Amino acid sequence: MWQQVEQSLHSSMGLVMNKIATMLPGILAFIVAFLFFLLLGWLVSWIVSRILSGLRFDERMGRGANAMAEFSPRATPSLLIGRIVFWCFVIAGVVVGVSALGTSEQIVSGWMLAYVPRVVGAAILLLAGNVLARFVSRSVLITGVNLNLSYARLLSMGVRWMILVLTGAMVLDHLALGGEIVELGFGILFGGIVFALSLAVGLGSRDLVSRSLEREAARPPEVVPPEKIHHF
Amino acid sequence: MAAVEFTEETKQQVERIGSADVVVGIAGAVSPEELRPRAERILQELGSAVSSLRFVFAWPGKAPASPPGESAADNPALALLPFSPPPQAEVWAGVSANQRAVLGLAASLNARVCIVLGSDLAALDARAIQLFAYAVLDRQCGLAMPVYLAARYDGLLNSGILSPLSRALYGRRIRYPLAFDFAASGALCGALSRSNLAAENAGNALLWPVTVASTQNAQVQVGQVHIDVHHKVATEGLELSAVLGQLVGSLFHEMDVCASHWQRIRGSQATPVWGNAGEGSDDAQPIDPQSMLDTFLLGSRNLDEVWRLILPPNSLLELRRLTRLAPDQFRLPDGLWASIVYDFALAWRLRTLSRGHLLGALTPLYLGWAASWVREVSSLSNADAEQRLEQLARAWEEKKPYLLSRWRWPDRFNP
Repeated sequence: MWQQVEQSLHSSMGLVMNKIATMLPGILAFIVAFLFFLLLGWLVSWIVSRILSGLRFDERMGRGANAMAEFSPRATPSLLIGRIVFWCFVIAGVVVGVSALGTSEQIVSGWMLAYVPRVVGAAILLLAGNVLARFVSRSVLITGVNLNLSYARLLSMGVRWMILVLTGAMVLDHLALGGEIVELGFGILFGGIVFALSLAVGLGSRDLVSRSLEREAARPPEVVPPEKIHHF
Repeated sequence: MAAVEFTEETKQQVERIGSADVVVGIAGAVSPEELRPRAERILQELGSAVSSLRFVFAWPGKAPASPPGESAADNPALALLPFSPPPQAEVWAGVSANQRAVLGLAASLNARVCIVLGSDLAALDARAIQLFAYAVLDRQCGLAMPVYLAARYDGLLNSGILSPLSRALYGRRIRYPLAFDFAASGALCGALSRSNLAAENAGNALLWPVTVASTQNAQVQVGQVHIDVHHKVATEGLELSAVLGQLVGSLFHEMDVCASHWQRIRGSQATPVWGNAGEGSDDAQPIDPQSMLDTFLLGSRNLDEVWRLILPPNSLLELRRLTRLAPDQFRLPDGLWASIVYDFALAWRLRTLSRGHLLGALTPLYLGWAASWVREVSSLSNADAEQRLEQLARAWEEKKPYLLSRWRWPDRFNP
């Protein structure tokens, strides 16, 4: 019996080693292709950045560049284009590498190839969502503080998480993960938040709101005293 | 370099007038029916002192009833010159655009002096015109800036940031570097009218005459004249953070553009002042700055993550210490305030964060300084408050080496 076990182990080991041996050139080809495209991407993006700075691309962009700098202060249009070129090459390297893994993995690589655009789209969505969440929450925080709102931080965090949740749902939807659960979950979450806020105002603070409105309606027009401090 | 664009009609009027000795330009829309009699009265009041000079009064708007360019009434020494107003821009940028247009017209007319006045016409009187003309024509000043009659709590943004920063950078002790009224010599008019026109956002660029005068030629003499004028600034609907963003942002922009120039300047020069300083009313009523202090404290509780990106650890520590003080003991030291603004200027240059956010985050700090200032000068007379301003400006100058180090080595020098 032990002989049969030993033989069985030997044969399975042999099969695994054989499989690894057949995949090894493919893995090597993947690494080579990836590194090659990485280097090529770096080189081409450097050349593109040099050409764009030579053409004074950022200055020519004018207002567009200013608007972009508001969202991502350190990024200039030429830097952004350089990065896009670089990452295009990196993705191409991954695709070529996966294809080079071998004909036996053609089904896998075919599926991966078809999925790559979705991953890229999702990554862009995630990046844009994060940048937007950071920008908008900071805007809300600073504006809130300048308006003397004591709950400025709470407001800012609320806005940030709303955008992040929305982004997360969009990313999952784009990746076709979770199917209808994501849509349903997101709908329930957002609906729940709005419903909770409505209840909080409608039931919890009903008297407070009505008193406040009555007070506002009954208040005589306020005479604003002249400002004694002039900032400008 | 780009020049101010005028319509064909304006160019024809300039050709018709030919030349002028003094151009008095209004940087905003005014009624020609109001302007003409006042201009004539001023010339009468000035009398023989200006009898040999030819005056042109320019303003953005439409021509009066009599043909433009022709001498008004029976006075051959006076001509009226309406011009098409530049495209509408933000509040202060609109004033600057009109000021540039007036200076451009003066350059076209080869004027010996151009006097630019605010559109509320508060400074349109014989005394102010005489003083400005005297400073430029008789005392050979390239630029004459005003010293307004101000109370302790007036123009705090100017007193707290614009004036001391401009003085520390360009070495000219000018009380109001961003003024509604000023005068420039004919030689400087062209440079002033072209300043910032080639910038990315030229439509909203402000005109900083002192900066232009200092960077054009270090030999240009800058003087000041006392004028008893109090401009009415329409503040309704204007948010402090928006105005602070526009004015301070513009000064930071100038700072970035002229970095190679101001880095060479050490200390400051006194500027000659002409005219008599008026007696402002010493309003004895104390003012409670608690609301400004509250905004500062709210900012320190909430904006820590933003301030940490801009300010070095030392300043943050100092600010944290200040928040623990009792309201009546709250004082923002001059040196700390100067270094805070310098750090914000550096963050503007490095684009550490969005520039809108940067200037928004400066507002609570400015209000903290304003609260400290109001509390400090409440017991002082106007004259003593001016002395205190001088002390503040010196502190900014003393902190300039800090700015230079941070500006040149932002990563290495971070105390």
